[in-house]
This record gives sequence, structure tokens and C-alpha cells, in this order.
Amino acid sequence: MSTFSFISPTTWRCAPCNGELQPEKVNVSYMGSIFTVELMVCPSCGFVLIPEDLALGKMHAVEQLLEDK
Amino acid sequence: MEQQLLRTLEATCIQEELPFCTAACPLHVDVRGFMACLAKGDERGARRVLDRTMPFADIVGRICDEPCRQACKRSEVGDPLAVAALERHCVTSTAAVLKLTKLPDREGKVVFFGSGLASMTAALDLARKGRSATILTTEREIGGSLRRLGEERLPLAVLDAAVEQLGSYGVNIIFDCQMDAEFIEYTLNFYDAVFMDRDWSAIDDFCLDCRHPNPLSLAVARPGCFTGGGTGPNGYSVIRQVEEGRRAALSIERYLQKVSLTAGREREGACATRLFTDITSIEPLSVIAPADPAAGYTVEEAAREAARCLQCQCLECVKQCAFLQAFKEYPKTLVRKIYNNQAVVQGTRTANTMINSCSLCGQCTLICPHQFPMAEVCVTTRQSMVLDATMPPSAHEFALQDMAFSLGSEAAMLRHQPGKSSSRFLFYPGCQLAGSAPDLVEKTYLHLTRHLHDGVGLMLGCCGIPAHWSGRQELFAATMEEFCTAIQENGNPLIITACSSCYVTFKEFAPQLQIRSLWQILEEIGLPAGKRAPLSQPMTIHDPCGVRKEPEIRASVRNIAGQLGMNVAEQPFSGELTDCCGFGGLMQFANGPLGEQAAERKARRSSLDSLAYCAMCRDNLAASGHRVAHLLDYCFPGEGLADPLLRPNPGFSGRHENRARLKAQLLASLWQETSALPLEHKRIALDIAPQVRELMEKRLILEEDLQKVLLHAELSGRFLEDPHTGHRLANHRPVRVTYWAEYEVRDSGYRVYNAYSHRMILPERKTA
Ligand code: SF4
Ligand code: SF4
Ligand SMILES: [Zn+2]
Repeated sequence: MSTFSFISPTTWRCAPCNGELQPEKVNVSYMGSIFTVELMVCPSCGFVLIPEDLALGKMHAVEQLLEDK
Repeated sequence: MEQQLLRTLEATCIQEELPFCTAACPLHVDVRGFMACLAKGDERGARRVLDRTMPFADIVGRICDEPCRQACKRSEVGDPLAVAALERHCVTSTAAVLKLTKLPDREGKVVFFGSGLASMTAALDLARKGRSATILTTEREIGGSLRRLGEERLPLAVLDAAVEQLGSYGVNIIFDCQMDAEFIEYTLNFYDAVFMDRDWSAIDDFCLDCRHPNPLSLAVARPGCFTGGGTGPNGYSVIRQVEEGRRAALSIERYLQKVSLTAGREREGACATRLFTDITSIEPLSVIAPADPAAGYTVEEAAREAARCLQCQCLECVKQCAFLQAFKEYPKTLVRKIYNNQAVVQGTRTANTMINSCSLCGQCTLICPHQFPMAEVCVTTRQSMVLDATMPPSAHEFALQDMAFSLGSEAAMLRHQPGKSSSRFLFYPGCQLAGSAPDLVEKTYLHLTRHLHDGVGLMLGCCGIPAHWSGRQELFAATMEEFCTAIQENGNPLIITACSSCYVTFKEFAPQLQIRSLWQILEEIGLPAGKRAPLSQPMTIHDPCGVRKEPEIRASVRNIAGQLGMNVAEQPFSGELTDCCGFGGLMQFANGPLGEQAAERKARRSSLDSLAYCAMCRDNLAASGHRVAHLLDYCFPGEGLADPLLRPNPGFSGRHENRARLKAQLLASLWQETSALPLEHKRIALDIAPQVRELMEKRLILEEDLQKVLLHAELSGRFLEDPHTGHRLANHRPVRVTYWAEYEVRDSGYRVYNAYSHRMILPERKTA
């Protein structure tokens, strides 16, 4: 299965690790379904960035779809 | 939903019933569709409508005796449509558009004696079904009585074209037959069925039987024999020839298939219709006659005449309901979708949002000529969705948490009147009034304690109706029971509700309780004396949907407005027909944009300033930017100059805040009790710009949610930072929703720039 990618350069930096975010594959889940997606993540502590447009766009659509399954 | 129930519901909504013209037409020609095409100048479209149903549109369209015209609804508001004249216009100015298909040839040979329009129709219909059809006539031409109508009404060339048409479907016509009883008997041996056209005057010489056909099937005593057409009690009717030819063809088809000749044929031919079409606001219009009667209609005249068609349908409920309009459905199609949605085992249930979008307000049921129970269907469907765990969690979660807050320790309370140990009355303002106007709750309570004796207790909470609306039967029952127990333990006081939703909820689900509406009580005990600003500008009353069936409450409200000297101008959609503001049925939570539309629709029923007496109506109308006040605003006016019409919508966070503050304040001022210290996150001071507040409101994010994000981020030190702006971005997931806040640390607290949320679960943090 191909991994969906939502990576794009960002000016957000991880504050505690004082480092840049980097593309990384992570597992997100909802209603018992697990997806592997590529997101911007802090490589040392794993803080995952979900930008506003992703949360309200694609991610919201997938949530709604899973709720209607 | 059981299939049986689906069928009953489908039959309740009469939107799909035949229009009056089509029902009266023995062929059920789609006159409404025909008129719609003509009205927009689409002559070929109109012709297609005729070709689809009429066996010989060029004949019938010219000379039909239009029984539909008498049934036309337009006759109640002006003249009926000139259907036949328009059909004549159509068939004389266009050529056939549609050639109907023919099925492959099959067994079954049918013979037709006589060549009138009944025989022609039956032969054509059966030939199209693939049966072999042979017309025998003593004459040289076909048409029978049609030939004697005169060239004016029916040019003989049209009949020649009909012969060709019959030939093209394989109908065999034998002219100049010498017929006698013997020939007929002999011929019958070669055919499986026979039709006797009574337009052939000699027929009675051969067949005595033919005078008494079965009216439904046109079958006569001898098996396989059918008859129809000819001159009836009212003379020769063209449409009757076609009707009986078609009816006989269907009977012969049944006979050849060896099935019942009569079962289920009630709606064949002219029939009754249950359609309802409202004409109360329709201007009467007279018929548009052609300027040159001999030449008939011009295209332009035909369009004007056809435009008088009312395009009869019901849709009474849809005309008023934002929900039905938004989903482009009427109840009949809607219940089908609900049924199918529930039948889905694997796959997407596409109707969930629709089911959760109905405001359950009951307006449609009152408007509907057959009382279609839309709200009942939607709420019971929600209940079964909850039971079989197919209810989308996001639809109602926010509203249920709001209800839990109102019932929780921060906002709920129950006390006897200060200084009393029992209550004969109990004031129950309801969660929304407490959330919208806490000061009005306090003033109203004090007023009640001054004028009612033997103790007026106070209870802050929520009646639990959101649980019912969301289909959570168990939660609703538990909430109700807890409430009833509390009432009983406090000596069964008379409950005085300020909110009409609470009132109808208690009335319906706890009928043993004594309840009265605050408005009835105020009407009796009177309003506080004192100076009020004069109210000269006319206002309109927006009844809440809860009092649709409570005329006494509505009357009390109007009396109070009268006592206050208000100048009330009623609008048509008040009282029992009133709209829902978008809160009902939790519409605005399951479908935010639709909730806004509903509020807007309600507000726009009048251009006057609005007077509401449900706190939720008031807030939702205020949110949609309209000037609206609560009746209590005028009963208990504030000291300042603030115009109650301009009081903003407090929003979800504001309502929480108000409820919590109301409880703390009342406990302190009236009962001298101090409440617990606020929760830790409540001490986080937020500075939120109005546009961010608006976003939060639409995204159902509370200030409290952001306070928790910030507390969590600043305590753990886990947040992102943008070195260019200095903004921070952090998230927190208290239960099922992850909230994000973009903010900046200021000396005075936190400035919030953005807030959003999602439900998707992110991975746990990496362990180093
Ligand atoms: S108004 Fe139009 S749709 Fe209604 S009955 Fe008359 S022709 Fe038919
Ligand atoms: S009012 Fe609505 S539910 Fe009732 S018959 Fe008409 S379209 Fe159907
Ligand atoms: Zn990090």
C-alpha cells in the first residue's frame, strides 16, 4: 500500500529539542482503522505537526468517511 | 425500519401522486411535463411527452375530447388549461420525435375485427410487445368513425400515415373482408385471442356477448375474446377508443401470459389522485386564446397559455423547511434513503448526516395534508443508530458534553429559597437561559420569590432533551430519572420553566410532575413595577418550535408583551407554524452550515426587530446578525442604557462561563455559600481576537479546550515554535478530540492566533 504524504517545508521547529521537523512515516488511527502517512515530525522526540489545512481538509474528510462506515 | 413501516410512510407522503390532469387522462399523459416544455418554448420536448404515451399522437393530439381539462386545478383560480388546443398546436407544428421500441417477436396471434381507433390502438400496443396482430375490416380504409370527422378536424392523410405506422410495427391489415358469422367462427380457429371493435356497427349481428364486457378487462364470456370502443352513452369519444383499445391490449397480454385479467388494475385509465396543491396565493388567470382561432396557437401564444399551468405538486413541507430544501428531498424520498442507509452492512452510510440534520421541530407534520411524521422517523432512526453503534461519534458529542457541563458540579444546583426549608415552587430557568443571560435568571428568581409564597426553590441544570434528540435513550432516561427523583425528594414543588423545550420535555416524559411556564406565572403575578423605556417601534414575536402545540403559553407571552406596551406585529410563520432556530434536534451541531441557514430563515420571516422568548432562539438569531431581544430583557430591564436588541450571542464558551458564574454568584449572594476554587486550567488567561472566537464557535472549540492545551504545553514544555513570529503551536487531547492552539506568550497571558481540531489519533511520543 502506498503511503499518503502530507509533507511540506515548515518554519515550525520543535521547541524542547530545538530542531527542525523532518518528513517521517507515522501511524495515525481512527475508529479502529490505522493509516501510515508521511508527516512533518521532530526526529528526536516524535512531535507530529498537523497543520490547520490538513486537519480541516483531508483528515476531516477521512474521519467523516470512517464514521459513516 | 421495517419494510412495512417504510411502505406506510411512503404512502403517507402524496408528493408523487399523479397531478389532477394526468389522473383524469385515461392514458395518463404527463400533461404537467408537456406544459412545462411548451412554456419554455421547447416544442420538441412537448411532442416527446405526447409520443411517449399516445399510441397515435398525430390523431389523438388533434382531436382528443380532453377529460383532463375538467380536472385541471387551474380552474379553481381562473380557467382550466386549454390542453387539447395546445396538443393540437404541438402535433400540427412538429413531427414525431420518439419512435417507441418493439420487442422481439413472440408467440401469440391476435386478430382484430373492425379497424376503428380502438382496434388500431390495441393492435399497435400488442405488435410492440412482439405479438402477431392482424386487423380484418370490411372497409377499404382504416379509422372507422374517425374518417367521418371531416378534413378540418382530422385530415385523412394523418390516417394514411397511421397505416404506415402500423405496418412498420408489423401489423397486418386486411381490407374488404366479407364477414359473416361463419367466417368469424372459422377465423377464430387460427388465433389465440380476438378483439372486437364496437366502432364497427355490424358487430352486434355477430356477437351478442359483446354487449356485456367486464369493465376492468373488457373480456366477454367466451375465453380469449375482448371488446371495446364504439359509441358510448355520451356519443363517440376519441379518447375512449384509445383507452379501451389499450385496456384490451393489456388484457390480451395477460390472457396470453395466463395471469389474472383483473388483479391490480385499479389505477389503469382515469383514476383518483390524492395530490394536494396549494392555490391560496395563486393569482387567477384567464385562458389565452389564439388570436386566429382557425389557425390555432402560435408558438408564442402556446407558451403563454402553457405558462398558466401550476405544475401541480405538493411539497408543502419542503417550501418551509431549510432541512428538506438543503437535502433536495421530500419526505417520501427521504424515508427511502433512511431505509437504504440502515440496510447498509458493508460500505458507506451516506445518509447519516441527513438523518442527524433534521431539527425534529414538527413544522412539516403540521403543514402536511397527511401529517407525515418526519421528526418521529428521524429520532427513532437515530435511536436505532445508537443501539447498533452506527451513529457517527462526532455528530452530537459536543452537544452532549455541553449538556454534561450544565448538569455537572460547576453549573448545576438545587436549593430551597434562602431561609426556607421547603419549596412549593421551583424555578427552572434551563441551561440556555442560564448560559445566555444569567442576570435575567437572577432577577426573575428574585421576582418570583417576592410574589409567590411558601418557598420558591431554584434548580440549575439541563432537562436532558439533547440526549433524546441525539438518540441516546439510556442517557436521556437516566437524566430524566435523576431529575424526577430530585423533584420528589424536594416535596414535588410546582416547576416553573422559563424554557419551552424544558416545558414540553417534562410534560411529555414526566407527566406526573406539575409544571407551568414562567410566562403563565408572570401573567398571573404581574411584572415588576418601575420605569421602562417606551417601546414604540413595532416588533415581531418569534415563537420557539417547542410551543407549536402550546397555544396557552403563546397567548401568555403576547399578553405580557401587551402589558409592557409593546407593539407586536405578527408574521405568518409564528404560532403553530413557527420555524426552528437551528438548535432543535441538535441540527446546528450535526450540520453547522444548515443550522445557520435555519436561523437565517427564521429571522427573515419578518423585517422587524425580533422578540424571542427562548434563549436559544434569541442567541441563534443574534448570531445570524439580527436585532433580537428576549422577552425577559423587557420584563426586567437593566440599569444601563444597553439596548437588549444589540446583546451579542455569548457563544458556546460564553454560555459555559455564564452558567458557572451564575451558580457561584447566586450561591454567594443568596445562600452565602462559597464555591470551590476554579480548576487549574481556568486560571490560564487567554486573549482571543473576535475573528478567532468566531472560528472557534464554528469549529466547536471552547476557550476551556484551549486553556487545557496551553496548560499542558507550558507545563510539559512540548510545543513547536516559529522563530520568525515567536508563535507557539501545541496540542492536547483531553478525550476524543485533539485541539491545536497557535499562541504567543505575553506578559498578561496568552494571545491566541488560531485554533483547530481533529479526531484522528496521533502516535504517542517517542521514548528516547
Ligand atoms: S394546472 Fe397544470 S399540472 Fe395542474 S392540473 Fe392543470 S394542467 Fe395539470
Ligand atoms: S407536505 Fe411534504 S410530506 Fe406531506 S405530502 Fe406534501 S410533500 Fe409529502
Ligand atoms: Zn522534539
